[in-house]
Amino acid sequence: MDAVTLRADIHQQIEQIGHADIVVGIPSFNSAHTIAHVVRAVQAGLAKYFPEHKAVIINSDGGSVDGTMDVVHQTSIGDFETILLHHRIEPVLKLAFPYTGIPGKGSAFRAVFEVAQALDAKACVVVDSDLRSITPEWIELLLKPVLNGGFDYVAPLYHRHKFDGTITNSIVYPLTRALYGKRVRQPIGGDFGFSGKLAQFYLTKDVWETDVARFGIDIWMTTTALANGFRVAQSFLGAKIHDAKDPGTDLGNMLYQVVSATFQLMEDYDAKWLTVSGSQPVPTFGFEYTVGLEHVNVNSARMIALFREGVQNLREIWLGILGAGDLREVERLAALDDASFRFPLALWTRIIYDYALAFHRGQLSAGHLLKSLLPLYVGKTASFVMEVTPLEVHEAEAEIEKLCLEFESGKDYLCSQWK
Amino acid sequence: MTDFLNLILEPLQEVFLKFQDFLPNLLAMLVILLLGILLAKLLRFILVKFLHAIEFDNWSDRMGFTALMRKGDLWVKPSAVIGGVVFWILVIVTLMAGLGALNVAAIDTLVAQFFNYLPRVFSAAIILAVGYLFTSFISRAVLIAVANGGYHYARLLAEAMRVLLMLMILAMVMEQLQIATGIVLAAFSILFGGIVIALAIAFGVGGIDTARRIVEQQFAEEEAPKPPDDIEHL
Repeated sequence: MDAVTLRADIHQQIEQIGHADIVVGIPSFNSAHTIAHVVRAVQAGLAKYFPEHKAVIINSDGGSVDGTMDVVHQTSIGDFETILLHHRIEPVLKLAFPYTGIPGKGSAFRAVFEVAQALDAKACVVVDSDLRSITPEWIELLLKPVLNGGFDYVAPLYHRHKFDGTITNSIVYPLTRALYGKRVRQPIGGDFGFSGKLAQFYLTKDVWETDVARFGIDIWMTTTALANGFRVAQSFLGAKIHDAKDPGTDLGNMLYQVVSATFQLMEDYDAKWLTVSGSQPVPTFGFEYTVGLEHVNVNSARMIALFREGVQNLREIWLGILGAGDLREVERLAALDDASFRFPLALWTRIIYDYALAFHRGQLSAGHLLKSLLPLYVGKTASFVMEVTPLEVHEAEAEIEKLCLEFESGKDYLCSQWK
Repeated sequence: MTDFLNLILEPLQEVFLKFQDFLPNLLAMLVILLLGILLAKLLRFILVKFLHAIEFDNWSDRMGFTALMRKGDLWVKPSAVIGGVVFWILVIVTLMAGLGALNVAAIDTLVAQFFNYLPRVFSAAIILAVGYLFTSFISRAVLIAVANGGYHYARLLAEAMRVLLMLMILAMVMEQLQIATGIVLAAFSILFGGIVIALAIAFGVGGIDTARRIVEQQFAEEEAPKPPDDIEHL
């Protein structure tokens, strides 16, 4: 696939711009009703915190039919005084174009990296186009550690509802932390800051025809930064509230893409993570404060029913992956009544490690293997929801911490079985 | 007396002369057989070593071939089975080549027929192997998709899919081998049609009560208040 910067229209615009200090990427798809707020917040952030830097906003669009790119072009802050700003030295330029390649966030990011490389940007930020809670301070928090602190990668740190982000909380965060030894709390947060050097490094990797080009991009960016020795930090951004999710988004596919990208990275970087034990915190920026979050409805009975269906139907597949002992444990769980349904942390840890090993050995096709994880994941989520319902947010966080420690202490099993 | 002796000896002489002509062919056949069997043994040895090196037995375990063999009361390793199959194919080919060396018209015809049939056997074997893999893949995909959808009877549906696909593949194999093609086609059509009619009758007549229960249960479940899930998984 040709680089987006080679397209005549974009190439001409890049030549006109010449060079930029900062590139802000906004991937989008049919986000006309939300992207204006994001563009305004970015413009305000750049004007307020980086007035002397030349900045370019890039809207990398996936073929929207609702005029998303037109909204980007038309959006600007008319009166900077409303944000207590009296002048801006360097103008903020905008580029909006449809990206090429596999439809997905990863392909949109690739176009951003390419433009950043062409403009020789010092620092970049990517933010989602459906954010409702983004403020100008996000731009400062994601860029300053790169521009002034010498960091290469800044992951977001949000306050989220205790039920939200369950793939992150039960798989990606504990696994990434145990593997690479760094406590990046939101490795697939979606909004990141990174150096121009790291953007160029990303472009050297041949991953753009894989699941990385879809949902897998976030974990890929974080892991690539961690495993290749780039300096990583995280910034507290407050609440992450975005547009209502697309009801057509299939959980099975989402789980498959994120977990397959994570497992694939384990293959690529096994020489690095096999030697790591324990974990260290990463530098954290931003002023933490409590935020009010929207209520989240959960039907845990339906989740447990799905888990039981899985136990009834997928036991032969699970037997080959988990072994007889853990399968018996899973069957014992299925026999419990809803009220006493609790997924033991050690069992969940072994399940994830066994799936990683099965992926490594090519025990089943990746699609079948990871889609067979869904009922187990749903069961684990139901258990977590029931456990933390009576708890405060910080107590729920303590439960996640316990799971992380279980992943760290159980890593020897993974390492010993990995050949 | 001399005439009488000639009368006896001439046929014997003729037989001896024919045997004398035939002897080199027989020796050639024996040599071909001996060399062929030695070569087949050598190839089996190399093949089994190679299969061990590429961990074919582990792969067979994962693909379900080993389980299939165990169901058929075959308890040796899959690599040994492949080695054995290749060995016996080579022995049969060697035997046919050896028989060809005898230069007997009737045997030559038989050998020619055998070699003409051989490509069909190979293509049938390939259809069977690929079909088995394809069937396993599809039925597993159905099983996982239906179970993840939270529907009952996922295993039943997956097994039904497996049986139907295997039936279709076996019919293709039989047709390839030209074994009673008319009967196979008719049997296949009757069986498939029979299954469809049986299902129609089962659900349409025999299963009225069951169907009513399922529908009622479904509606009852739909009517029951179900709080939506708003969890953001990512």
